[in-house]
Amino acid sequence: MKKKSLALILCCSLFFSFLGACGANIGSGMGDHATEPATEEEKLTVVGFSQVGAESDWRSANTESMKSVFTAYNGYELIFDDAQQKQTNQIMAIRNFIQQEVDYIVLAPVTETGWDTVLQEAHDAGIPVIIVDRMVDVSDSRLFECWVGSNFELEARKMCEWLRWFCVKHNILAEDVYIADIQGTIGASAQIGRTEGLQKAAREYGWNIVATVEGEFTRAKGYEATQQLLLKYPKMNVVYCENDNEAFGAIEAIRDAGKQVGSDIKNGEIMVLSFDGVKPEALQDVLDDSISCIAECNPLHGPRVEAIIRKLQNGETPQKYEYVDEDVFSAYEEIENVIVDSKEYPITLVTPELIERRRAEYDTGSYVEELPDNVY
Amino acid sequence: MQKLKEKFKNISDTNLLLLITIVVFFLMYIGAVVFQGKGFLKPQTFFNILNANAALILLACGLSLVMITGSIDISVGGVTALVSMCCAVYLDYQGGNVFVSMLIALGIGLAFGLVQGILIAYLDIQPFIVTLAGMFFARGMTTIVHTNPFNVENPNFVALKETRVNVPGMGSVNKLGVYVPAYVELGVLVALLIVLALFFILRYTKLGRNFYAVGGNNQSALMLGINVKRTKFFAHLLCGVLAGIGGYVYFLHVGSGAPSHAQGAEMNAIASSIIGGTMLTGGVGNIIGTFFGVLSLSTIQNIVSSAGLDQAWWTGITIAAMLCLFLVIQSVVMARKKKQVKK
Amino acid sequence: MSKIFRNQLFIPIAALLLLAVFNLIADPSFFKITLGYNSAGDPVLSGYLMTILDYGSELAILAIGMTLVTAASGGQDISVGAAIAISGSVVLRVLCGRDHHAETMQAPIIVAFLISCVVAMIFGAFNGALVAFFKIQPMVATLILFTAGRSIAAWINNNELPIVNEISFSYFGGFIPGIPVPTPFFIALACVIVIFLALKFTNLGLYTQSVGINESSSRLNGLNPEFIKFLAFIILGLCVAVAALIKVSRLSTINYSVIAKDIEMDAILAVALGGNALSGGKFNMGASILGAYVIQFLTTTLYKFNVPADALPAYKAVVVILLVVFSAPTVREFFSGLWKKMTKKGVEANAKA
Repeated sequence: MKKKSLALILCCSLFFSFLGACGANIGSGMGDHATEPATEEEKLTVVGFSQVGAESDWRSANTESMKSVFTAYNGYELIFDDAQQKQTNQIMAIRNFIQQEVDYIVLAPVTETGWDTVLQEAHDAGIPVIIVDRMVDVSDSRLFECWVGSNFELEARKMCEWLRWFCVKHNILAEDVYIADIQGTIGASAQIGRTEGLQKAAREYGWNIVATVEGEFTRAKGYEATQQLLLKYPKMNVVYCENDNEAFGAIEAIRDAGKQVGSDIKNGEIMVLSFDGVKPEALQDVLDDSISCIAECNPLHGPRVEAIIRKLQNGETPQKYEYVDEDVFSAYEEIENVIVDSKEYPITLVTPELIERRRAEYDTGSYVEELPDNVY
Repeated sequence: MQKLKEKFKNISDTNLLLLITIVVFFLMYIGAVVFQGKGFLKPQTFFNILNANAALILLACGLSLVMITGSIDISVGGVTALVSMCCAVYLDYQGGNVFVSMLIALGIGLAFGLVQGILIAYLDIQPFIVTLAGMFFARGMTTIVHTNPFNVENPNFVALKETRVNVPGMGSVNKLGVYVPAYVELGVLVALLIVLALFFILRYTKLGRNFYAVGGNNQSALMLGINVKRTKFFAHLLCGVLAGIGGYVYFLHVGSGAPSHAQGAEMNAIASSIIGGTMLTGGVGNIIGTFFGVLSLSTIQNIVSSAGLDQAWWTGITIAAMLCLFLVIQSVVMARKKKQVKK
Repeated sequence: MSKIFRNQLFIPIAALLLLAVFNLIADPSFFKITLGYNSAGDPVLSGYLMTILDYGSELAILAIGMTLVTAASGGQDISVGAAIAISGSVVLRVLCGRDHHAETMQAPIIVAFLISCVVAMIFGAFNGALVAFFKIQPMVATLILFTAGRSIAAWINNNELPIVNEISFSYFGGFIPGIPVPTPFFIALACVIVIFLALKFTNLGLYTQSVGINESSSRLNGLNPEFIKFLAFIILGLCVAVAALIKVSRLSTINYSVIAKDIEMDAILAVALGGNALSGGKFNMGASILGAYVIQFLTTTLYKFNVPADALPAYKAVVVILLVVFSAPTVREFFSGLWKKMTKKGVEANAKA
């Protein structure tokens, strides 16, 4: 019996000491708060950033962009959390940020729905939330300060418009176009927008979509999916990959299966279309005609978010929705621009010089293009 | 001092391991408070850990039961995912009511427990392979039921999900100077109740003692007239039911159905059980220890994430290191005990 | 009759035949093999059977190691998938050096492979030490690496995704120019030959089985059970390194969270399908290897019938349950009793007639 009581006493005493620590905090909570700004933390603005994961090059570039901006040198302390693709982890991270009383929360949500509660908590705690990349679907848009990201459906529409003109110029009939859509992670805004855009265009122009499969935005999944598709649908001649990594996998799978990658779909080549265009390698593939067209998706949100935070600190209201400017890359000169919703978008011709420039920027980490005026 | 040593010698395996776990947990938490301060001092941080891990507590309890009988169940994570998906689909697509969804959760858990229990206890098939198949089946079925993740919008369910119970006398003042009381979600209450119930079952009922006897030594349990097969069956049945309840609690916490839900939960549950002092060889273990095991595991995760160790890999590595440490402690403690007994 | 039933190779062969017949009836084009040319102009064979040969091979390599571990320790290593991620990551790290998208390889492939072998064997030794010397159950001991493995893999390459651009690196997981059969098959063949030679000319098989059957009695007979178990895990480590080379070569890159996902389950399944007791003891290496190809056959068949990759486990689970139920001793006894009764009745009926 005594041995048990020993254990009991030990754990009880520890438990009460813990409770005591908590209890003490209730009383001193106010005091803590009052003395805090006097310490060294006064200068550094604490930013909590909850990132989806590190599943693609785009994501890594996005993370890198944030990290390079929110440095102690620039007057920030960044608490970075990698959610490994799980919403529960992100919610947990945001709750942690709230408890740590960060100044701003930046959230790159893994899915669109299910954010009401936790964003309400952040709102109640007086912490502004900035959403990047994917959208959140909340009942009250006041729950987040603003959103920065890409118009995914527009990217898809631009791409489809390019494909239409390509078919027209090369005398390819719409009914001879057999597209396989390798989707991104289901439920992600990029996947929803890019799939939607393709579906609309296919209905409008009469293309055949032979398959819609999930590729999770990864090279491995893209490879696997394409490999299966090639066996199942010998007619397939366009592979519509929803990001570069999937495209890299698809190209490899097509080559491994003994088929040709290229734009000449009339002669049995298989065309690969892709999004993002983050790595110089992707642009190199465009030049080599391995990828026929890339609709860019800009990952460099860091400077934009920093500009927004500065605005907020100065008491200004930033724009609620801010779209990033994006290019379309192709190596075909004959299509100079595409028109979507009566707005003209130029197609950027990929040249060795362009790639050289991108590579230099990418390698030195200074890959930051000029920002539109409304940000700075 | 001499007395203390004497006591240490006489302490039972279960209590010794329990003691180690609890001490480590408090040391860890105090360490977090001292070195990271701020967040960890607030009671809500602790309750957030509870809120996020109520389901894991239930799963780990179920695993502790089967591990005490010397068996294993790795299907609990899959069952959790299946339960959330089925309930989500039922609530949103069929417009079902919340009470029935709870019954569905229980039913799924019961079915898994029943089938696995029969296969393991009565047909004498390796538990690992049976529950591996169970896990595969549950994960596969989840995507067959519905492929895409989605959030449940059923108003009754959302109301239940949002229900919060304030913890009396605790709270903190936030940045805006508002006093926010600390709260727990309903799932935490369920988990705590079940932890208490299981604690009493294991300690004071015949069934509970039978679990230890069967796990400790199959043969001698048989000789004592214990129905070994039935006891094993009950352990798996209970584990299945707990997985069902845990699945619902998880569902209540996340409010969505997704095939990727509770990925790796089985491993976390096993890890928490081991950290909580349950021995995989059977016969040793304690529900209270399991409870603290879950807390230790999630506190580590929390420390890693709020320390701003910005790379995700640290979580995995620290948990593994902790698991390794506890396994080695267990093994060393047991070896020493054996030697002492021999002397 | 009963001899055939009792032979260990019966289960995998029967399963294989069943699957083959099923496919033949459902869609004979499953067996079609076409000769095509890849982008480099080299001949390649493609078709579902080639896919099985290709992907089944890495599974077969793992099954070799897994069989030994199962036989010696009576448990399974669940960390092979994570270990593949680690050694794959090591290969890429050595090949790419600091620059994660290097134009040329920074080291010869053989060096990278050898280093990854050493790393994989160290991790195998870690598992082995926990199991053999600390007497921790294999499944739990390997749980540690299972949890940490992919994190360690990401850490080795600083969470970047290095890409090897050199074509010769892709030979291991693809085709060697001029040979139309996928290379993994030859690698698996080499591994199989090595292990069979080892089993034939050394005491490895005998010692492993005796340790698995009864540890204390083999100790009394002068064996060192700890060392044998330890050795089994190290051999598995070696198998992991080979499989990892194939895996990373296929893609020329790596994805830490996805690479070789759930492959441990398939490898264990292969051992079980081969009719080997998962509780250790006697084993049949050939049956395990055949089991690996049968598993891949099943996977490919399911893919063929448009089963989405995520739903695949459900079907596999049903197969596994049926398999273990029918091979369970109690069920077997029941059926053999039934068989005896029936034949007895038959004999009696004949006698009466």
